[in-house]
Amino acid sequence: MNWELIGDILLATVPLLVIFPSMFALTTWVERKALARIQNRIGPNKVGVPLTPYGGRLSLFGLGQPAADGIKMLFKENIVPTGADRLFHLLAPILSLIPAMLVLCFLPLEFPWLNGEQNSVKAFMLDGAVIFFFAITGLNTLAVFMAGWASRNKYSLLGGMRAIAQMVSYEIPLVLSAVVVVMIVGSLNAAEIAEAQAGWNWYVFQPWGLAAFVIFFIAALAETNRSPFDLPEAESEIIAGYFTEYSGFKFALFFLGEYIAMFAISGLAVTLFLGAGGGPGVEALPWLKVIWFLAKVCILIGVMIWLRGTLPRLRVDQLMGFAWKFLLPLSILNIFIAGFAWHAKNANEGTAVSVIVWVSALITLYAAAKGLDRVNRAKVKPRAYQYGE
Amino acid sequence: MSLLGGGIFKGMAVTLRNFVGSYFDKERLTTKEYAWRNDDKLPERAGDYPKEEAEQLSDTTTVTHYSRNFPMLLHDEGEPMDTVRCVACQICERECPPQCIYIEKSKDKKERGGNKAQFYPATFDIDVSVCMSCQICVEVCPFDAIVMNSQFELSTPDRFGGLLLRRDDLLKSNDYYHKIHPEEAAARDKRIADEKAAKEAKKKAAEEAKKKAAEAKAKAEAKAKAKEEMGGIEKPTETPDTPPADTKKEGNAE
Amino acid sequence: MTAAAPNYELIQQDDLETSLLEVSMGPHHPSTHGVFRMDVKLDGETVVDLKPVFGYLHRNHEKLAESMSYLASMPFTDRLDYFNSMTNNWAYALAAEQLIEIEIPERAEYLRVIMSELTRLVNHVSLVGFFVNDLGALGTPLLYAFREREKILDLFEQASGARMMCNYFRFGGLRCDVPEGWLDRTREVVDRFPKFLDEYEKLLCENEIILSRTQDVGNLSKELAISAGITGPMLRASGVNYDIRKVDNYGIYDRFKFRVPYSKGEVGDCYDRFMVRMLEMRESIEILKQALDGIESGPIMGNAGKVFKPAKAEAYGRVEAPKGELGFYLVADGTTQPYRYRVRPPSFINLTVLQDMCIGQQVADAVIILGSIDIVLGEVDR
Repeated sequence: MNWELIGDILLATVPLLVIFPSMFALTTWVERKALARIQNRIGPNKVGVPLTPYGGRLSLFGLGQPAADGIKMLFKENIVPTGADRLFHLLAPILSLIPAMLVLCFLPLEFPWLNGEQNSVKAFMLDGAVIFFFAITGLNTLAVFMAGWASRNKYSLLGGMRAIAQMVSYEIPLVLSAVVVVMIVGSLNAAEIAEAQAGWNWYVFQPWGLAAFVIFFIAALAETNRSPFDLPEAESEIIAGYFTEYSGFKFALFFLGEYIAMFAISGLAVTLFLGAGGGPGVEALPWLKVIWFLAKVCILIGVMIWLRGTLPRLRVDQLMGFAWKFLLPLSILNIFIAGFAWHAKNANEGTAVSVIVWVSALITLYAAAKGLDRVNRAKVKPRAYQYGE
Repeated sequence: MSLLGGGIFKGMAVTLRNFVGSYFDKERLTTKEYAWRNDDKLPERAGDYPKEEAEQLSDTTTVTHYSRNFPMLLHDEGEPMDTVRCVACQICERECPPQCIYIEKSKDKKERGGNKAQFYPATFDIDVSVCMSCQICVEVCPFDAIVMNSQFELSTPDRFGGLLLRRDDLLKSNDYYHKIHPEEAAARDKRIADEKAAKEAKKKAAEEAKKKAAEAKAKAEAKAKAKEEMGGIEKPTETPDTPPADTKKEGNAE
Repeated sequence: MTAAAPNYELIQQDDLETSLLEVSMGPHHPSTHGVFRMDVKLDGETVVDLKPVFGYLHRNHEKLAESMSYLASMPFTDRLDYFNSMTNNWAYALAAEQLIEIEIPERAEYLRVIMSELTRLVNHVSLVGFFVNDLGALGTPLLYAFREREKILDLFEQASGARMMCNYFRFGGLRCDVPEGWLDRTREVVDRFPKFLDEYEKLLCENEIILSRTQDVGNLSKELAISAGITGPMLRASGVNYDIRKVDNYGIYDRFKFRVPYSKGEVGDCYDRFMVRMLEMRESIEILKQALDGIESGPIMGNAGKVFKPAKAEAYGRVEAPKGELGFYLVADGTTQPYRYRVRPPSFINLTVLQDMCIGQQVADAVIILGSIDIVLGEVDR
């Protein structure tokens, strides 16, 4: 037995299993608080730690809310509709959680207690990490459709159909925008990608990187069914979509899976574009890398919450059109631009050249986006109103 | 569809401003924190409101003194049943749109507040699960005996009996009424006092008139007697037979 | 962006059997605005057929009113369109006042206008919130709207004692005068409202997602709107200049200067309906300002007599309720109870074109089309 390997695996996995679920609990509280504040409400502020059985409690701004929610979820009745496929009804939430948890391993979280050669997660130093990430997150679609199908509910089925169409479509711009970074770094290894951005060489500061990041982020919203792309669970249209018929702990699993997927995909975005664990002070204190990484993930999650509090959702045909007619051409163009920029930079050293490349790439991308936008523009036109006396 | 118009960013700026603003600007807040009891204790289960506390709660929490909830029966100072204003005339029972009032008239009459003896309600039930708080009963009552309460903590574990308010639950003092609806109660008391004063004045006037009439009559009689004695026949010119204007209403006033 | 598939014949192949998906949306659906059901036939996501089913909230309003005194059905009119109890009261009072000769005092007329325009603000602002909620916006605009609504409801509570079921109008005037300082508080609310509307417009009117979701969705042509008897903002969104406040000049509306916004084009889609309501709120604020300037103290109740007992007659009173033309038809037979009592509910009649607007659209559109009609089931089912 390779005890060292097993030790490394434990040292790498146990923190993941501690950090991310607790971040999930905290995020549900933060999301409720933030959405409440956006809507000018107060949000959960009562649930806290009871001090004595007879009264008195420590409110702590309602931080007890996630625990209370969890307890409530656990004790709720598990209802399986008559005629539902019981096996798949049970499997779906599990299957939605597992891939999300699995891909967390490939994030380059450099825990200080891991003493690999590159001071990285040695146990999961996989060369094809990025490919593996996409391969595994693709399973989530299956889980969603399984839930939609097994529930024997028309709304669930509609939600499942929507989810498949949406997730399959948005996977393409997601991957294509990640390809840019892979192309420039020349590696699929997450740790190497992180390494390449050391210092302040974050790819988001490049025009192609910025475009890729924006596309990636939009596609990630769609992949994780977040607003404004939350069509598979559109409450006002199809009740709750694929998890209409889920209650209690199974629902909690879906919920958990969704949030963990959000963390995972934000983590990948941070790895690819936002310099992974890079940030001020990491040279002196290497353990800051983990903090910076998680902080960046939290910022992305915050933006997701902010978007959720602001935007209504798209319609199915608009959603698909947006993926295929806007994001896809733009991300393909972006690959070419990244290639040209990289070549131009390699061929000629010098600030002037890089500035020219930078500006022209940005202009090209913006023009392309504008052009595509005009082509795709629906019959949105300004309306005029008149007044009768 | 177009995403480059900037409208989305404008919207996001608005939500961001609200997010930050809600921490500094209390005016922005949509909701108010529910005012719990002063001791910060939550009710343990439905029906856990002792009546007095519920009354107090209704006084001290979010309810403004303009709000109305369910009707109550007014009584003046003293023992409730000795001073109750209701005379069981059953107008409110007839006029109540959802028919939630049930009244049984007493067999005997009882004197209250120095007025003429009147009937009193032997049974006065209001089913608040049916009542729709429309205040029609208050408007039609000629005796100012029924007004609206603002008590709202009426939760009870018994859905039928618990929501049927009996006469003794409904009896509330005029002081309580002044506490929950100060403006309205003051206006009502003023009106009652005015009416009473007007009536008294009228009564006084009537009495005086009667007195005068009696005097006049006596005079006339004396005159007539004198005349009779004198042998002539002359009828009294005036017969001021003014009865007290509203003897019927007089007794009902309180 | 409407899926252009006018031909809904099913694809029939030998080895592949397809059928339309029948979904019964409601009565327990989050966005049917009450207990309303749409029997929808779907081809994929496209609505092929839609059948509105209602009556779940029927409570015998008209027959009940025929078996009780005239005044006693006033509180029941509150419950028709429970968002706008003040205008419901007014329409009923207007009908009853035609049965008897009665002079309505000046102050009461002003207060009636103020109450009904405040009601219009309440209705439109929360309708827009609900509408955007149907579009999927997690309640943010709705809660902003409710905050403002709350302020107006507080005013209603101070005036009438209740926030929603006001029961404030009486034949010949109002039940009671407003408390001291009420007009100042109202002025404060009215003066601050435009600021809120600016923010609201900034949040919603330019949002590209809202634009592309609502434009060209649920088109209602001018001809269909007129022949179906559509009234209110929905008719004006289809490009017809018709407002009963202008046509009838009931109450004292002829004293105020205000404009009626209506659509210039003749598309009549959800966006037009949404915008017409946004513009109408500005006009309501203008009316409110003028009314608050013009109001003077005085009595609030005309001499209606203790018992309301009209002679044999019939009357129809209508007002421009926030949702459209709300009318009450009364036939008096000389007793204290109406012989016939009939409500012309705007949301019920506006609902009749739902099917025409929805067919060929997507499921998601059906929901927002229903939202843009602005129905309240208390009024539809009665």
